[in-house]
Amino acid sequence: MTAPGPVLRSLVDPFHPHPYRVVARRRETSDTVTLRLCPATDPYLPGSPGQFMMLTAFGIGEVPISLSRVPDRSGMLEHTIRAVGSVTRHLVALRPGDWVGVRGPFGTGWPLDLARGRDVLLVAGGLGFAPLRSALEAILERRQDYRRVTVLLGARTPSDVLYRQILPRWQRRNDVDLRVTVDRPDERWRGQVGVVPQLVSQVAPSFEPTETVAFICGPDVMMRFTVRELQRHGVSDDRIFLSLERNMQCGVGLCGHCQLGPFFLCKDGPVLPYSRLMPFYEVREL
Amino acid sequence: MNESSPEHALRMHPFTADLNDEQLSELARLARVAVYEPNEYLLREGDPATAFYLIVSGLVSIEVFVPGHGARPLQTVEGGSAVGWSWILAPSRWEFDARALERTTALVLDGERLRQLFVRDCCLGLRLVQRLLFIVAERLKAARLQLLDLYGPPRELP
Repeated sequence: MTAPGPVLRSLVDPFHPHPYRVVARRRETSDTVTLRLCPATDPYLPGSPGQFMMLTAFGIGEVPISLSRVPDRSGMLEHTIRAVGSVTRHLVALRPGDWVGVRGPFGTGWPLDLARGRDVLLVAGGLGFAPLRSALEAILERRQDYRRVTVLLGARTPSDVLYRQILPRWQRRNDVDLRVTVDRPDERWRGQVGVVPQLVSQVAPSFEPTETVAFICGPDVMMRFTVRELQRHGVSDDRIFLSLERNMQCGVGLCGHCQLGPFFLCKDGPVLPYSRLMPFYEVREL
Repeated sequence: MNESSPEHALRMHPFTADLNDEQLSELARLARVAVYEPNEYLLREGDPATAFYLIVSGLVSIEVFVPGHGARPLQTVEGGSAVGWSWILAPSRWEFDARALERTTALVLDGERLRQLFVRDCCLGLRLVQRLLFIVAERLKAARLQLLDLYGPPRELP
C-alpha cells in the first residue's frame, strides 16, 4: 500500500495547509491583485469553478478566497484578492517567491452540468467576477455544449473592472455577449453607465427564460436586484444560482461562523440555487 | 411598409410593438426616424422639451454639464428603451443632456401632438404613460442603486 500523499492528507485532514509559493503577481485594480501559486511539494489540490480555498498569510491569519481559475495540470492555483483587512492586505502585498498556506478546496461549485444545453447568463459585480471567471473559462473550453452565453459585468469605475488585460479577448469572440457597465465613468469611458441589474433587461430578448441558467456573484444588494430582474423575465428560482460570501473559517461546516439559516455556506455553499436560499436570503440580520 | 419608416420602427420597438394597427398609424403620423452620429446631442439641458425619443439602436448618454469638469455621464440608454419625459411635464424644458455615444437611431415623436393625442384617446394615453412611468421607475431604481456605491471600499474586516 502506498503511503498517503499530500493530496490524501489534505482530504483527510482539511485543516492541514499546504505550502504554496507565489510565482506571479498581477495588479488588477488599485487594491486588488491576482496571485499565481505553485505547490511547494507535489500535491494536486483539485477544484472546480465556484469553490474556494482557505489561504494563510503566515503569522497573520487565514481567509477564504475563491478560485479565479481552476487548478491546472501542475496544480497551479490562481486567486484574485482584494485588500480589505489585515490578512488580505498581507496577501495582496506578497511578491513572487513568498509563501502562503493553502487548504481546500471547499464548498459547492457552479452547476455547469445543469447549464449544459441551455442559455447561460453570468452576472458579476465588482470582485464577484473572480469566481465567475473560472466558470466562464470552463464554459468557453467546451463552448459547443452550451447555447447562448452572456456575461454582464458591473464595476464602480472603469479602472475597477477586473481582468482588463484579458477582457478584450472574450469581447472579441462572437459566441459570447459580454457587456460591461460602470457606476462612475471617467472622461475616456465610452461604454455603458449604470448598475448591472439594468443590463438584464437589455439581454432578456436574446435568451429563452425557461431554458436559462444564471450564475450571479457580487455584493448582496446587487444580487438581490439581479434576481428580481431575472424573475421578472421568467427565469425560475431553481435556475438562478448565487455565490454568497460570508465569514467562512473552518471550511467544513463545524464552526458555524458562516451559517445562514440551515446552511453552512462553507460546505452547503457558497453556490446555492435561489429557490433554496429564498426563505433566508432576504431575512434581515440573518 | 418601408423598413426605415416610422410605422415599421414603431412596430418593432418594445415600447409600442403590441399596439394595434390604428394606434401605430396614429403614432407614426407624429413620428420621424432620426440618426445621430457619435457625440451628437439628441437634446440639451434648458432647451424646450418638444419630443419623445424611442431609441431603436445605439447608445445614448444622459449627462449633466459640470463647470470645470465637463460632461458627467449619469446613465446610458440602449436601443429598446426611451429618452426624455420632460415634454409631458410643465414647464417642458430638458433637465439633462442626452448625447449619442455610438451611431444611434431614434424614433422622434412630436411632444405637443403626442399630448393632444393622449387627450383625444385617453386609453392609449394611459397605456403609454404607464409604460413611460415604468421606464422612469427603472431609472430611479438604478439611480438609487448607484447612490449606494455598491462596489465601493468595503467595511474593514479583521
